[in-house]
Amino acid sequence: MKLPKEIVDALKIKDPQDVFVYLTTSSVDGKCNLMPSLFTDVYQDEFILIPDLFAIKTKINLNENRIGVVTIAYPSEGKTWALRGPCGHIEWGLPDNYNFQGVTAGEVLRRWGNWDEIEPVSELPEEIRPTVVAQRGVIVLKVAECYTYSPEESGKRIS
Amino acid sequence: MAKLTPRMRNWLEGLGAHIGTATKKGFPTVIVVDKAKVEGDNIVKFQLTDAQVQQIKQNIEENPRVALGPGGLGSIRAAYQFKGNARLEGNTLIVEVNEIYCTKPGPEAGLRLDVLPYESILKFESTRWRDQGPPK
Repeated sequence: MKLPKEIVDALKIKDPQDVFVYLTTSSVDGKCNLMPSLFTDVYQDEFILIPDLFAIKTKINLNENRIGVVTIAYPSEGKTWALRGPCGHIEWGLPDNYNFQGVTAGEVLRRWGNWDEIEPVSELPEEIRPTVVAQRGVIVLKVAECYTYSPEESGKRIS
Repeated sequence: MAKLTPRMRNWLEGLGAHIGTATKKGFPTVIVVDKAKVEGDNIVKFQLTDAQVQQIKQNIEENPRVALGPGGLGSIRAAYQFKGNARLEGNTLIVEVNEIYCTKPGPEAGLRLDVLPYESILKFESTRWRDQGPPK
C-alpha cells in the first residue's frame, strides 16, 4: 500500500531526535525483538528502509520469519503510527537482480548501501551515535497495513 | 533474575515503552504505552486502554513472551531492550523482565546486560550516558 504523505515525510531523512522509530520482528516461535533505528527512509512511498548496523538479532528473525512492524512516534506533531508488512534484508554481496517484494538489491544498495554518505553519522550527538559505522546492508519493510497506536484507538486501521 | 537499574526505571516510568507481542507462530503486534510503573527488581506494569487490551489479549494468552523498548526519546537515549513474560490482570499488563540487552547501534548492539554483575551494569551505564532519566 502507498503510505500517506505525512508518514512518508516523517520517515524521510530526518532528525533522529525528532521522530522515534522501532522495528519489531519475531522468531518463528514468537519471541519478539525490538530494534531502535536512528535512520529511516522511504522508497516509492511504500518501502521503509533502515540501515543494517549490527542488526544481528533482527536478521536472525528475518531469516526465519519475514514480517516486521515499524512503530513511529512523532511527539511534536502528536502523531503515532504502526506499519506492518513483509520485511527482509538486502545485504552487500547479493546479486543486483535479487528481488524482495518488488525491489532489487541493486537499486537499494546503490542509493542506501552506504548510509553515512547521505546522513553523516559523525554529526549526531556522541551519546547516541554508533562508535563505528559498518553497514552490512539495508532492511526493507513493504507496508501492508497502517494503524494508529494512540491509546484510545490503538489498532485502528488508518488505510 | 534480572535487576533493573535506577536509570532503566526512570526511563521506563517517564516515557513508557513500545511493547512487542506475537502469536505463538511469530505474527507480531506492537502497542505503545507512554508510562509505566516499576515494582521490585524486575516487574514492569502498564495501564492499558480497552483498545490496547483488545489488540494484544489473544497474543498474551497464547504466548506470554514480550519485548519492551523505552518510549519517545528513550528509544535513542536509553538504548535498552527488556524481555520477559507478561500477563494481563484486567487492564494492567504485568511484565516480569528476565533479560536486558543494550541496543545502542554499533558493536555493543545486542550485548546482554543482565548476566553481568549488577555493579558492572551500573558502570556500563555511567561510562556511556550522563543522564539518570528523561529530561524533566
